[in-house]
Amino acid sequence: MTAVKKYPVLAALVLGALFMVLPFAVVLMNAVKSPDEYSSDGPLSLPDGLHLDGITTFWERVDFGEKLWNSVLISGSVALLAVVLSVFSAYAIGIGRIKGRPWVLAFFVLANMLPQEALVYPVYYLSKEAGLYDTRLSVIIVFTVIQSAFGTYLLASVLSGFPREVIEAARIDGATKWQVLWRVVVPVSRPTIGVLMVLFFIWTWNEFLLPLVMLVSDDVQTVSVALGVLQGQRDMDATMTNAAALLGVLPALAFFLVFQRTLTRGIAVGAVK
Amino acid sequence: MLKARRRARLLAAALAGILSMSTLAACGDDAGGGGDGKTLRLWHYEAPESAMGKAWNEAIAEFKKKNPDVKVEFEAKGFEQIQKTAPQVLNSDEAPDLLEYNKGNATTGQLSKQGLLTDLSTVAKERGWDKAIPPTVAVTSRYNKGVMGSGPWYGVPNYAEYTLVYYNKDLFAEHGVEVPTTVDELEQALATFKEAGLTPFANGGAEYVAQQYVYQLALSQADRSWVESFQMKGATDFSDAAWTYAAETFADWVDKGYIAKSSSGVKAEDAGVSFMQGKHPLFFSGSWWFGRFGTEIKKFDWDTFMWPGSKMTLGSGGNLWVVPEGAKNKELAYDFIDITMQKGIQNTLGNAGGVPVAADPSGITDARSKKLIEQFDSLAGNDGLAFYPDWPANGFYDSLTSEVQKLITQSAEPADVLKALQAEYDENVLK
Repeated sequence: MTAVKKYPVLAALVLGALFMVLPFAVVLMNAVKSPDEYSSDGPLSLPDGLHLDGITTFWERVDFGEKLWNSVLISGSVALLAVVLSVFSAYAIGIGRIKGRPWVLAFFVLANMLPQEALVYPVYYLSKEAGLYDTRLSVIIVFTVIQSAFGTYLLASVLSGFPREVIEAARIDGATKWQVLWRVVVPVSRPTIGVLMVLFFIWTWNEFLLPLVMLVSDDVQTVSVALGVLQGQRDMDATMTNAAALLGVLPALAFFLVFQRTLTRGIAVGAVK
Repeated sequence: MLKARRRARLLAAALAGILSMSTLAACGDDAGGGGDGKTLRLWHYEAPESAMGKAWNEAIAEFKKKNPDVKVEFEAKGFEQIQKTAPQVLNSDEAPDLLEYNKGNATTGQLSKQGLLTDLSTVAKERGWDKAIPPTVAVTSRYNKGVMGSGPWYGVPNYAEYTLVYYNKDLFAEHGVEVPTTVDELEQALATFKEAGLTPFANGGAEYVAQQYVYQLALSQADRSWVESFQMKGATDFSDAAWTYAAETFADWVDKGYIAKSSSGVKAEDAGVSFMQGKHPLFFSGSWWFGRFGTEIKKFDWDTFMWPGSKMTLGSGGNLWVVPEGAKNKELAYDFIDITMQKGIQNTLGNAGGVPVAADPSGITDARSKKLIEQFDSLAGNDGLAFYPDWPANGFYDSLTSEVQKLITQSAEPADVLKALQAEYDENVLK
């Protein structure tokens, strides 16, 4: 490629990257400002110095370590359980080719499209009846089901394109259905499963409405719910909100960076096929 | 934005479902009683450094001193969280003994109607809260079948709020402007600042700020019976002298540049920040800014005055302490409310920039705060609190915001705006 062709693309990419990074830069800038500085110079001015009070005060005020642990526990369990559930049902639908397959899949898509607002009341009522209201377990169960609906849909379509010869060869060698799943299907689909797990983790991490409704007590709340504590009725503490937002995205960002290779590999695998 | 609206509407629908169902569930539940009198579970959503936050922290300390064997479990909540989840929480075993809750028909009114809140009438009388709180402030404490104004007490406010003009003393001195005492003087002041190249008023058209200017303008031409008719009786004529003056004056001020045409999309927070940055010499808004201005404005000196030539202004009692019907330790909750009503705590609230309902003015040391509280006492004593313009009708807040925006962008004539408001009001008014 010649330089003439290269530069416009590069410029466009740089511009795009700038737009993506800008909001984070603003958050970062305001997170380290003092409230006085914010009030007198506005949100877009550069901070005069490093003012970390917002971050430390917020950390102590909501006991952020506890919230972090709750979020990790919930998101991690959901990611793991939802992937296992998705693999089982996708195996039945995609490879087992059960009857009425399109209908089952359509049902899963529909369940996935249901707005969470519609789920709020039934989920609240059922968990209260079951004695699970205000427990982390209730949120884990709900999100495992929600995420695995999407996971089943995606994995089932991936698995329906799974080379049948490989499965038949395994069957001829005497493998049971269980062994086919764990020894053949899962290892081959690992990249896709990895991507699903990362996505489930990040999605669950960012969930707000259902955790807000279901997790009432401070000691079971997640990070995204804790961020809401700063929003008053008429006023907001802008610098502390920014500090909190920074603390809120960092773990998900770190998780993404760690598993970034899994993600790109999974996407690339799909592309080659 | 559109999507967010749809989501909000869906959420509202879902919550409405919850509300109606939880009423049914409430009948079956046998809540209350069985408390051990050893723990007080308490929720509120005020920031720790706000006036209420400071006063209530002190109240908690006081409560602990008086009840050394009682454990206080305080949890700081977000406004949104209480707003969205209160009906579910109060209908479960997780209900706290005492919480701060938003005043109004759609919130405290709704919950009281569903039997989720304790009727506090007897306790209020026994402990003298009904005497300490002026009648205009108590309007938001009493709900008759869910409608505020009369009936049993369901909540106790510790503070009140009202609107006033904040002004930048340095800019006033620089341009040789005196504090206006009449509307004419105010208009002259606005003209002076405009000539000097300043936009006199900080304004936020996207939220409550702009509609409060308009309502204040109308109030300056109105009397108490006008307010009662508009707020309580569900009848107002938007083509009357007061409303016409309000819409036309507001439009005129936009035209003259006293209020920026670009402020139609500005949020309340940004309007307040622009005043704190010293960009505008004047800002008309609520006493809820007072504490924050006091701590965060360092660049210039500021003070307040009441809207010139008006006997009434916007305002009401603040948010309420409510006791859930399912609370396990109601007596402790009453004891706590009682502590927050005492002079000491009320004075702390006042000295920190809040408007206490039952303070002792001699105990307020800060000069600006003293004035704030004295102004309020005279307003409350003269029936001068006219509530907020969006209270009388469902969804009227959005109608007011969008119609007043049209005045700011000059996309509609005042008469058309008033006509549109009349239609919205008549259709949605609560009777």
